[in-house]
Amino acid sequence: MIKKLTITAVLLLAFVQAWAQLPSGGVKGIVVSRAGRTPIAGAQVLLMQDGDKVATATTGADGAFLIEALANGMYEMQLSADGYVSANVNVTVDGGFVKDMMIVSLLPEQVVAEVDDSSYVEFDMEDSGFTDNPTIMYGSTDVFANLAGYGFSSIRFKNRGYESESQDVYLAGVKMNDAITGYSPFSLWSGLNEAMRSKNTTIGMESADYGLGHFNGMTNILGNPTSVRPGWRFSVLSNSALYRLRLMANYASGELDNGFAYAFNVSARVGGNDWIEGVYYKNISYYAGVEKKFDSGSRLALFSFANTGHRGAQNASTQEVYNLMGDNMYNSNWGYQNGVVRNSRVRKTFEPVTVLKYTASPTDRLDVAATVLYRCGWNGYTALDWYDAPDPRPDYYRNLPSYFFMDDDDYNRSNEEKFAWASEMWNTRSKDFAGYQHLNWDRLYNVNYNQADGRSKYAQEQRHVDQRDLNLALSASWYATDNLRLDGGISGKINRTENYKKIADLLGGQYFLNIDQFAERDFASNEALTQNDLDYFLTNGSAEKIVKGGKYGYDYYAHVRKAQAWANGTWSKKGFTASLGGTVGYESFWREGLVRKGLFAGLDDAGNEISYQGRTLTTYDHKGRPITSKGESEKLGFLTYSGKLSLAYLLKGGHRFSLNAGYFNDAPTFKDAFVSPRTRNSVIEGLTTQKTISADVNYQWSRGGYNLRVTGFWTKIKDQTDLMSVYDDSQQSFVNFALTGIDQRHAGIEFGGKMPLPVQGLSLSGVLSWGEYIYTSNPLMTMTVDNSSEIVYENALIPFWKDSPKYHRVNYDKMNIIEVDWEGNPILDGYQKHHVASTPELATALSLNYRTRSYWFFELTGQYFAHSYLDMNPLYRTMAAVSGADGIATPEEIEYMATQEEFSPAFLMNLRIGKSWYIQRKYNFGFSLNVQNLLNNRDVRTGGYEQSRLISSTGKSRYYKFDSKYFYMPGTNYMLNLYFRF
Amino acid sequence: MKKILSILTLAALLASCTSLIEEFQPVFTSKYEDPAVSKTVSLKPNITIADLCALYKTGSPWQIDRDLIIAGRVTTTDKPGNFYKSLYIQDETGGIELKLGKNGLYNYYQEGQMVYVRCFGLTLGMYGYKSGNYGGQGMVQLGYIDPTESYETAYLESSYLIDSHVFAGEKGEKVVPEVITESQLPQTYDTQASNPYIGKLVTLKGLKYANQIFCMLYIDSNKEKKMSANRIFLSDATWGVTTWAMSENKFKEYFDAGLWDSVQIGNSGDYNYGTVGQPKDPGFAMSKADIRAHAAAYSVSQYFTMGSREIQLRTSGYSKFGDEEIPKSVLDGTATVDMTGILSLYQGSIQFTVNSLEDIVINE
Repeated sequence: MIKKLTITAVLLLAFVQAWAQLPSGGVKGIVVSRAGRTPIAGAQVLLMQDGDKVATATTGADGAFLIEALANGMYEMQLSADGYVSANVNVTVDGGFVKDMMIVSLLPEQVVAEVDDSSYVEFDMEDSGFTDNPTIMYGSTDVFANLAGYGFSSIRFKNRGYESESQDVYLAGVKMNDAITGYSPFSLWSGLNEAMRSKNTTIGMESADYGLGHFNGMTNILGNPTSVRPGWRFSVLSNSALYRLRLMANYASGELDNGFAYAFNVSARVGGNDWIEGVYYKNISYYAGVEKKFDSGSRLALFSFANTGHRGAQNASTQEVYNLMGDNMYNSNWGYQNGVVRNSRVRKTFEPVTVLKYTASPTDRLDVAATVLYRCGWNGYTALDWYDAPDPRPDYYRNLPSYFFMDDDDYNRSNEEKFAWASEMWNTRSKDFAGYQHLNWDRLYNVNYNQADGRSKYAQEQRHVDQRDLNLALSASWYATDNLRLDGGISGKINRTENYKKIADLLGGQYFLNIDQFAERDFASNEALTQNDLDYFLTNGSAEKIVKGGKYGYDYYAHVRKAQAWANGTWSKKGFTASLGGTVGYESFWREGLVRKGLFAGLDDAGNEISYQGRTLTTYDHKGRPITSKGESEKLGFLTYSGKLSLAYLLKGGHRFSLNAGYFNDAPTFKDAFVSPRTRNSVIEGLTTQKTISADVNYQWSRGGYNLRVTGFWTKIKDQTDLMSVYDDSQQSFVNFALTGIDQRHAGIEFGGKMPLPVQGLSLSGVLSWGEYIYTSNPLMTMTVDNSSEIVYENALIPFWKDSPKYHRVNYDKMNIIEVDWEGNPILDGYQKHHVASTPELATALSLNYRTRSYWFFELTGQYFAHSYLDMNPLYRTMAAVSGADGIATPEEIEYMATQEEFSPAFLMNLRIGKSWYIQRKYNFGFSLNVQNLLNNRDVRTGGYEQSRLISSTGKSRYYKFDSKYFYMPGTNYMLNLYFRF
Repeated sequence: MKKILSILTLAALLASCTSLIEEFQPVFTSKYEDPAVSKTVSLKPNITIADLCALYKTGSPWQIDRDLIIAGRVTTTDKPGNFYKSLYIQDETGGIELKLGKNGLYNYYQEGQMVYVRCFGLTLGMYGYKSGNYGGQGMVQLGYIDPTESYETAYLESSYLIDSHVFAGEKGEKVVPEVITESQLPQTYDTQASNPYIGKLVTLKGLKYANQIFCMLYIDSNKEKKMSANRIFLSDATWGVTTWAMSENKFKEYFDAGLWDSVQIGNSGDYNYGTVGQPKDPGFAMSKADIRAHAAAYSVSQYFTMGSREIQLRTSGYSKFGDEEIPKSVLDGTATVDMTGILSLYQGSIQFTVNSLEDIVINE
């Protein structure tokens, strides 16, 4: 019995032992796309140990994989999937357990490999608050992002209606949004498409491992040499809507045996285009980097890049001008000089960025990264300046026929004969008339020649915004347990930006006098008040004669300091993921005037009033503080914080539900904080942080070539500030509108879907963005003029900012009039809501895509855009503007003045064709041709702005608006790219 | 056939090449050469300024329907801002104002420079005529048709209109002013056709300050200027004004000093709107602050006498010397002044406008 038992026990033990010798360890996880977090079906998982293949697996429709029967030890897991950048991950299996990797994300390859930001039409809209940045920069497999991110840029689509500064753009882990304006900084590396191609992108409220982000997505451009596609690559690109030619060369070594990696990228972009005369590029961009992987596995990367050169800018005009010229792409910035086209507005930049990045994995559960980034150089933008001479702009309103005659005689413009002269001047197409229809450089030079004293009446100035920007970012990712991951970091920024202008060209004269001409008109008897540089005047007895290259006008530093700490914890189990994160930070900024302006003399260094010829120059604001142009302003400080919660559930079958919510308390930017930053230290009253609450819900599904995302979003932004500066010729100066307390609400849905069609390689994609982006408050406005100490309006309510009344109209005696009730009061139909401008609230696209096995691709896209609105001018929404000189606001006046213009809808067709050839599997040659706006639709407005001037009616009872200015989309245009790589 | 095809192919290739070359035309971005100095124009005048003015009949603006060309040298400059949007030219026979309607005219037409005017299509009209006992002639001017009939002539304004009629000739030395005596001064009903000095640059000597100004202020210049309730007249005395004119800032200084508080608002004979110190018209002003809120620059006529004749020296509030103080010795009558400027008539009264303060010489 005992023997039997023993034998059984021994046998059992042997069995157990034998069973135990079969390894019980393993690894499992879910492979998802880093963009959109959608599962990737069919991804290959290859497990290597000491260079030998150990096991393979393929992910299921839900992206999940499982490899079992692994012995304890360290493995290298290689993940690959079509359309994604391959990744290597180290895995340690121990204790005989199946290691749950949870979510493993892959970086999508740029699907349309040859499309880049340089194909986005760039505008000159500096003065109206626009930027020249692309709308969305997705490189992802998210269907919506793919079709909208690139395809909607020609209409200036703003994702979910948000301004570009709400999109967080990182480079190597450092947030790059401009310290002064918050704008996204794509122009810093434009032209370096190859070096900057690899990026992590999130959409909407998703967070990432380099920061918590806001509510409009995050992009982190990797930039380090190993992120650049290895090999040689050359391309030639021609673009008929922007610049003629781009030549690019790129090389990356990949990681060499000695642990080093090198990469460089250079490109030249030159020439004009078919649509906008005067717009041209003369740019060289370069990138160079080196990276070393140490034995410890840590990496150190150093790279530097810059985009340097000239770019001619475009200008908006009124519809009257476009009609007179028969061309909606007319650009008033250029004219002939000696028969050669010359643009007066040219952006000239050289802003090198240098980055040092260190990454390490001290343990297999901890990744750390540290980056130091420095940006410097200069950014100039030329413009014409003139003193006591006629406005040189050809489309200046007094040159237009409408200035002489309008059908409605209430405009007090009744000279039909002068109208005829002005019309002939614009309508005649001959060389003799070019000097009227475009800038007349020859005339400007001749005015300067005429000045016996050599004083230039016209000059070309160059406005500079020169940044010195030092950043430090540290971040860590800790896989605390198999279910919990913690990301966090700290970052800091020190920025000093010098704003000034200098003389770029004296246009045939000897010098330009550094005085303020409007002040001169107002303060004729007090020369000191007209000085742009009072200290120079008091020392030398006269204003400085500025020669080429000399600074004049204004000169000040913007100082910005930022510090932030952030953390985000992600817990996941069985397809359920929850993350909670937060930030806390402090931002501070101040102005430091470098010159003393006569009008805002302030106190001298000893704290005494400044006087000239017995008259005190120092003036005080209503709180008794001296109004100062020189020295440091009050230092403004803001505590910032934010919190985010994300919940996601991944069901079997590739369905994913997620919900994100966040609250953000952000500091205002420097650019919006001063009433007239060019001239004085005065801060806008009532400056406070911007509060945003945002939420979105998402459903995603991906399986067997089907791909779908539906998102609903809702965002409320409170207490925004905005400073708008516009040139007013009647003041011969910039007029500033400082708005505080702007509230907005953005709500809508986003849909993106892709389905395969029965024919192999054929698929259909569609996207829809449909929302309402409206103002929900009436802000306060402080209006100042650069050249006057007078505050035109101080914290005045803008009563018609968020909406304007719509009255009931009836036809009576052949006239359309507002109906009144029996008491004589106008009958109200409702209110027109006022919208965030210059983006369509309804944007859709349907795209038919065909790819062959021989690497051809064809794509035909139809797009429809509607509900886009014109940018509003606060002046037209004041009581004063709707009242007219008589001070009586009638329903007709309110409706006329305060209504916001809605653009007509637009339908567009685009076509893309491409083909790649592989030679001996080593050389790859290909082309892509992109034809935009196939229907040659030339009436599509992409943006614009209202002017800030009023016309008093003949009877002085009301005001009329000046015509608005618009930007149009170019007609049919192409972009052809040829590339060769090996 | 094959030949034709190959020729066609060649032609097509060539055409696409040229269009390609055109497409890839480089943009010029190198150093731009300085443009050449504009050539001056020379025309042969066929009528004198006095004869042209003689073609004008008082009260009837005339759109010139003949190819008349006048020539004259520029006598004024808008550089110091006392002349605005127009300039005077003169020949041997007389002077005339050209209402061009642009700022900074001195940049194109300089003092002493020859200017030719092709008059066809322009309008000859008069400014400042008033009928009746206290009236008289104004100035014959050359401008453009004014369909509103607010004035007899309008400004030309349109660049193309100006460039088609007014031509800058060769530059020259500044015109030497003629010194004229009291007896040469025009009478109430003279015009350029009957008095050779009207519209010309002349020097008047030995003028005495007359302790009197004329200045019309508006409560709100954005509102209807013809309304009596919008007007304030400073006349018959000096009202404390000791500058040649007043900028907006100078206006505020005078205003705040309370010098005009007792002045009645409104046209003479229509004093129903209170005083500057206490206005009482809800449509325009109910308090002194309401008037100050619309402060502006104003022209002032300072009265002088030349023998028995009265000369109004008119200076713009936008001129750079408008806020300069009139020397004490002039104000208290111990010094006389010599002035060089444009002699003009307004409702039969003599007005005088100087280019700059250098044209006023104090005889201490």
